[in-house]
Amino acid sequence: MTISGLGPHGERAAPPERVSLLPDDRTAAKAAGWRVAVVLHTLESDWAKQQLAGMMGIFGDCGAAVIDVVDCAFSPDMQVAELDRLIPQRPDAIISLPVANEQVAAAHRRVSEAGIKLVLLDNAPTGLLPGKDYTALVSSDNFGLGKIAAQGLSQHIPTGAQVGVLGFAADFFATNEREIAFTKWLQVNRPDVTPRVRRFARIEDAAASTDDLLSANPDLAGLFVVWDTPALAAANRLAERAATMPMATVDLGEAAAIALAKGDSFCCIAAQQPFQQGIAAAQTVILSLLGRPVPAWIALPGIGVTRDNVVESFQTVWRLPAPREVLRLLGLSRGN
Amino acid sequence: MPLNGPDLSESSRPRGKGRPRTAETAAPSLVELLNLVRTGAANTRQELERQSEFGRAVVADRLTMLGDMGLVDESELGTATGGRAPRLVRFAARRAAILVATLDQTAIGVGVADLSGKLLTEHHEAADLTAPPADLAERLTALFRWSMERHAPQGSIWGISLSVPGAVQGATEGDFLTATPPVLPAWEGFPLVETLTRDFGVPVWMRSSVETMTMGELHAGAGIGARSMLFLKVGRRIGAGIVCDGQLYRGAHGAAGLIGSLPVTAGGRSGPLDTLAGSDMIQREGLSAAQDGRSPMLADIQRRGGEITAIEVSQAAQIGDPASVAIVTESGHLIGQVVATLANALNPELIVLSGSIVQTNDILLAALREAVYGASHPFVTRDLRIIRSQMGSSAGLVGGARVASEQLFAPGFLKEWVMQGSPIAHPAFAALHDRLSHTAGPPPPPRARVGQELTT
Repeated sequence: MTISGLGPHGERAAPPERVSLLPDDRTAAKAAGWRVAVVLHTLESDWAKQQLAGMMGIFGDCGAAVIDVVDCAFSPDMQVAELDRLIPQRPDAIISLPVANEQVAAAHRRVSEAGIKLVLLDNAPTGLLPGKDYTALVSSDNFGLGKIAAQGLSQHIPTGAQVGVLGFAADFFATNEREIAFTKWLQVNRPDVTPRVRRFARIEDAAASTDDLLSANPDLAGLFVVWDTPALAAANRLAERAATMPMATVDLGEAAAIALAKGDSFCCIAAQQPFQQGIAAAQTVILSLLGRPVPAWIALPGIGVTRDNVVESFQTVWRLPAPREVLRLLGLSRGN
Repeated sequence: MPLNGPDLSESSRPRGKGRPRTAETAAPSLVELLNLVRTGAANTRQELERQSEFGRAVVADRLTMLGDMGLVDESELGTATGGRAPRLVRFAARRAAILVATLDQTAIGVGVADLSGKLLTEHHEAADLTAPPADLAERLTALFRWSMERHAPQGSIWGISLSVPGAVQGATEGDFLTATPPVLPAWEGFPLVETLTRDFGVPVWMRSSVETMTMGELHAGAGIGARSMLFLKVGRRIGAGIVCDGQLYRGAHGAAGLIGSLPVTAGGRSGPLDTLAGSDMIQREGLSAAQDGRSPMLADIQRRGGEITAIEVSQAAQIGDPASVAIVTESGHLIGQVVATLANALNPELIVLSGSIVQTNDILLAALREAVYGASHPFVTRDLRIIRSQMGSSAGLVGGARVASEQLFAPGFLKEWVMQGSPIAHPAFAALHDRLSHTAGPPPPPRARVGQELTT
């Protein structure tokens, strides 16, 4: 699968195979006994849990101790405080998902300046440079995810209609790329469709933003939301207003997979591969600690998921069986 | 006019017969004081008095004017050195924003910078520069509007700076463009500059991407603090940016460093460096290696329906594909021979390589180093560092922002607008905008309000 986006500095993507570990690498890593910390935006989401699961396996294989896993609750201030708390503990590396842009840039720079290897997930604050201020960025092909969502939703949108886009107000590489790619795909392939954009600052605001969007544009024929948790909130609000419409989003969380299997609103989900991304991030940490050159941007392709392939896609993404509810809705589970 | 800053051209104070207007007398002192603050040369009233040699009353009056225009901020206190803590005078870099873009052969990048040239956000995406220019202009406009919506919703835009893949004729120092210069054959006859000027209502500057990337590397990358530096961009064309005494050397017409035209010889063939070592050569040789069986790795990419570009050849070289290593090595040696000549002439302390072929493998850098070390005087290479840029395409955006920032506040340009508090009121620009607004074109975008801080 090809990567259609460019990195935060226009980099070409390197595939995750570029950071594969050889048996010798594992042996050398075990001998070193490194200490690593992980700082995420949240630990609540399925995406975060799978990301951690991917990382922990690799760190376990390589004898690296994970000394802290921090939940920043999407708060830039908390992330700055947590990074400053971790620096004096002198971990060998930190994997961090910067929750904002300018507000958290200096704190991340302080990590590198303290001689701690810094691997970023999903977002690189403007002004931070790979090789200087951080080791590498590992993310999905977020531009590709936006395109997959647009392509999937477009099939359900009549000619000349308006489509709602619920974006994320924070200046965040991953969600910016998804929004830009979604609207670009429509502009190029469905110039008859007009996108109507609203942005929410917090997940809790997603339902209210849906109300705003719908009040300003009562004729919406479809909706794209930049990830699944706010998308589910938006879907609930649309159902309450009896305004159900075709929807597309990013991330195949458990609830989103069930909603897709139901088939009453979600028609397409562009899935990330968080388990594989966690593996790639941990391998990048190990290679950089071994002094091996790593690419500036490692990107994983997205997977287009519809009701027809939700079961196998769930298995691919989560390395787990699809939820029983999904199997039941699709008539694959014949028990209760 | 999109910006309507306070009109200070007429002082409210009474003036005597024959006395010059405040506008005529204040502008030079405003320019000098603002630039002392902007460049960080002075950041208290006392320092401003000392460095400018203006009296206390003049400095106080001008700072009040600059404060009213939103160009300086005196809200912060400095450190006391006995007695009261001095009030710090800061340049209000967030007073307005600069839109920047890089147009490359295969990608387009856009960003928003503050007035100091600091990049606040950026986005890059694949693009085809040989596509019809109207499509490109439409995409550029869409991305600029998206960026403004996200990062300058209540602010205002004071300029646009573009990086293009080629020397820009007519881009003399200090001038914003009044017409689109000939850059690429595909753009001939398309009024890109006129369209942007009319639609966004701001002056447009344009420089070659080698120039902007060199500026970016010098001010925000590996070249920080360097007095002498060579910057090399390796792509379809190969260009050099030359920094002497800490300044970009542009030459008589902004065409310095076009080393891609220099003749070289390889394998019995002679031709320009662009042709024998640029990305077209790497792609062509890679295709040939895939087809004649020399490169099973590239052949495999083709068999799976993948396209072979210079990037695939560079990545294959990095993984160790022998045919790809040979192709990229030859490119590095040829470029190195030309760079060695430049290095011997200029004796730089730093050579920085950039471009996606350089970013995706270590082979080209190694081959170039070998050629430069082999062909240079030992004094030239004794402390010479030859490295790869870490900035990628961000260098062009950062450098583009620096170009606009320096031009907006260049003394000759600044004195024409400082009394009005906005460069949009610069008489030459106002005349241009007026003229372009009367020619047919799409309706202008919604205008931003004046005097608000940018939100980021």
